[in-house]
Amino acid sequence: MSDRAQSGRERIAALGAAPIWLPAAAAVGLLGAAAGAYELRLLAIAGCYALAVLGYQFIFGRVGALSLAQGAFFGLGAYASALLALKLGWDFVRSFPAAIALALVLAAIVGGTVLRLASHYFALATLAVAELSRIVVVEWVSLTGGGNGLPNVPGLVLLDWTVPRGWPVTVFVWGWVAVGTLLAANYSSSLYGDGARLLRAEPLAAAAAGIDQAARRMSAFLLSAAFAAAGGALYVHTLGVVSPEALQFDVMVLILCMTVIGGRNAVAGALVGALLLVHLPEWFRAFERWALLAYGAGLLLAVIAAPEGIAGAVEALWRRWLGAPPVPPQRPAAPAALAPATLPYAEDRAILAAQALGIAFGGNRALSGVTFFLRPGEILGLIGPNGSGKTTLLNLLSGFHRPDSGQIFLDGRNLTALAGWQRARAGIARSFQHGALAADLTALDNVAVAANGAVPCARVADLFRLPVGDAKRRRARAAALSALAAAGAIKIAGKLGTDLSAAERRRVELARALAAAPKVILLDEPAAGLSDAEKAALRAALREVAARGIGIIVVDHGMPFLMPLASRVLCLDAGHIIAAGTPAEVAADPHVRRAYLGTGAAA
Amino acid sequence: MSWAQIAIDGLALGAAYALVALGFVLILNAAGAVNFAQGDLVMAGGFAAIVFVGLLPLDGIAVPGLVLAPLVALAGGGAGWLIAEVAYRPLRHRPPVAVFISTIAVGIMLQHGANGIFGAAERRTPPLVAGEALEIAGLTVSPQTLAIVAAAALVILLLHQLLERTQLGRRLRAAAQDAEMARALGIPVRRLTALAFALGAGLAALAGLLLANVYFVTPTAGLAFMLKAYIAVTIGGWGSLRGAVIGAFLVAMFEVVAGRLYSASLADALLYVALLVALLLRPAGLFGEAAGRRA
Repeated sequence: MSDRAQSGRERIAALGAAPIWLPAAAAVGLLGAAAGAYELRLLAIAGCYALAVLGYQFIFGRVGALSLAQGAFFGLGAYASALLALKLGWDFVRSFPAAIALALVLAAIVGGTVLRLASHYFALATLAVAELSRIVVVEWVSLTGGGNGLPNVPGLVLLDWTVPRGWPVTVFVWGWVAVGTLLAANYSSSLYGDGARLLRAEPLAAAAAGIDQAARRMSAFLLSAAFAAAGGALYVHTLGVVSPEALQFDVMVLILCMTVIGGRNAVAGALVGALLLVHLPEWFRAFERWALLAYGAGLLLAVIAAPEGIAGAVEALWRRWLGAPPVPPQRPAAPAALAPATLPYAEDRAILAAQALGIAFGGNRALSGVTFFLRPGEILGLIGPNGSGKTTLLNLLSGFHRPDSGQIFLDGRNLTALAGWQRARAGIARSFQHGALAADLTALDNVAVAANGAVPCARVADLFRLPVGDAKRRRARAAALSALAAAGAIKIAGKLGTDLSAAERRRVELARALAAAPKVILLDEPAAGLSDAEKAALRAALREVAARGIGIIVVDHGMPFLMPLASRVLCLDAGHIIAAGTPAEVAADPHVRRAYLGTGAAA
Repeated sequence: MSWAQIAIDGLALGAAYALVALGFVLILNAAGAVNFAQGDLVMAGGFAAIVFVGLLPLDGIAVPGLVLAPLVALAGGGAGWLIAEVAYRPLRHRPPVAVFISTIAVGIMLQHGANGIFGAAERRTPPLVAGEALEIAGLTVSPQTLAIVAAAALVILLLHQLLERTQLGRRLRAAAQDAEMARALGIPVRRLTALAFALGAGLAALAGLLLANVYFVTPTAGLAFMLKAYIAVTIGGWGSLRGAVIGAFLVAMFEVVAGRLYSASLADALLYVALLVALLLRPAGLFGEAAGRRA
């Protein structure tokens, strides 16, 4: 199958559960067929909310940050477009992009300060920003009309032509929903979107794959604000009035309900949620007063029973009835995309060096005075009893903790001040004890995400599906395929992360480390839980990797796995290196034997 | 109005906020998640008091709030227990954000339930004790102000004794700190978590009774209370009970002083700006996270 055909199929898959489009389209058709002026206006309003929900899926769904400012961006978009039309006489062609631009600027300022906060402070800070904007709009009476709002907002004026009320307005709004849907689906199906999924599932693994968490969250926040403002601008010109109610927390709650009930990740869920919740009070007109109570109950029910919402539930049912969707076919292995990272190299040069590393957690000194080096192409074993600091040392090297003292050099460059994702891009890759993969990505894409980290990614190109984005994805997948082959995992390239066995996860993690074309790979207990045959295969794979000139540090509990593999072994105990040398020397060292109380060092 | 007068008002408001914030932290520590319905429970407490006034067979006699207080607190406790079982328990193994959302859902249901039953109009609860305003050292102090401070002080003292001095309190703290370990030691974590929710919600409801006499109550009042408790807990140190009380008094003092100098809505705006600046300068909270010794 051609690349183009395949990428088209993925785009369709990213739109969400195929079956949900049929009832959704039928619903729009039915609602439209009723076609009174009132029903059409309702349908248009559902479209405005659908845009806000599509946007909310970026920040809340894809990167998993609970922003409570989405309603405020919607309301501000409405006010901005209305004010530009009323005060400056701008038509929609100008006020629409201006409202979006304003939201982007505001989101950039807010995001720059609050996106780094931990989740419970992020939610609070975004809520404070939302309340603040509501107060400003209510109090700035001369501009905004205060509590009375702005009446007589002109309709959707394009140059000199006003989009007529009824069908044309509804079609115009849903045309923008279609544009938003395509952009969101492109994001979802792009390598950039895959990175966001890994980020949400395994933030540390994403950092180790070279993904800049702050930048991903920022771009998702900007997108969410832009979509909300677009929805708000369409809303105000459809309705003809705006009041501070558009900025009340109720709007945020409505968008949240739509997103969770419809489905926070599937693009189709945004449309389903918006259509359903806008029309629900109409269908139960007699209970109008209680409609929001029903929203609350629906939200509670969804978050407990259907965390992926209606779209996710339909998708799961669909998969159960028809089996898993076909995985993308594997392309023939690409030419060696894994260029040896450090060839030619001198055997005696250190590629990675640690000088007097120390760190304490509270009063507990986890590591002190750890000094060692690693040569290119060398396999260095790292052993020690439980709690001796092995994983802490890996975390220091990969930048998840900052050392209290000491320095880290890669290829002569001081990395001590760099963040995790920067070190990954500088050339330090790693694996994790538990096999940190995104459950909803294939093995291939779990690996490709790291290859993307090495290649500067194409956000805008991904969003608009420009050829350059597709080309980058093809290149990343080719590199991923080679890496999977090198890790002996080519056969499982099409399996979803959730379906992989423990041994397979290890291989995929090794492949992900390789795909970033690293200089150094840190492996945290790669042999744990493997059979003897699997261990032997892993050793062979590691030797091949080392032969390319990549330095490898392998953490293990004891000597048996490392004895025939490592050229040197370090032994940690209580945060100190107590022995270093060849495996045989370390195994025979009395300090090591004492540390292990005679067990484990017998190999 | 003199500054001393304002300080007294701030003290009463802070006492009521302290109850809300304490409840917020109790639930936070037990569930490891924010209870977004905390403010709506305050609102519900106010309406519960109004319902009880109607139910009590005391025709023609003004029911003092003091009689209502235990009833309202119990009703709030029941609601908290229900929230623990329905909105928290099914989600206890999911990320905290799931509980955040489920409690937003509970808050919506409380708010719009109250709106459906009582309508949007302002309501007022009876004062704790009836009586004329007192003149103390040239200041006018209403008995309600004194009663709020006294009632809150008593409740905070009792809560302190419960958590620090009793076996139940020690078990509560143990369950909050490490549920798995507590379970291994034979502590009934499920019941204690529900108890923490009940205590937290009961405190909120009681605060609702106290506040709704002075400030009235409407179905939409919950969000402001929740925000203030949230801010109090943030500036007092996330997870710290003592910090929650201090934070509550700071927030209340800020509110009455800025409200006196400018206006109520500008006071709110300034509070949010102050919070954002504080978070900008200290992203881990003003006094850090009280992890490790949370309850």
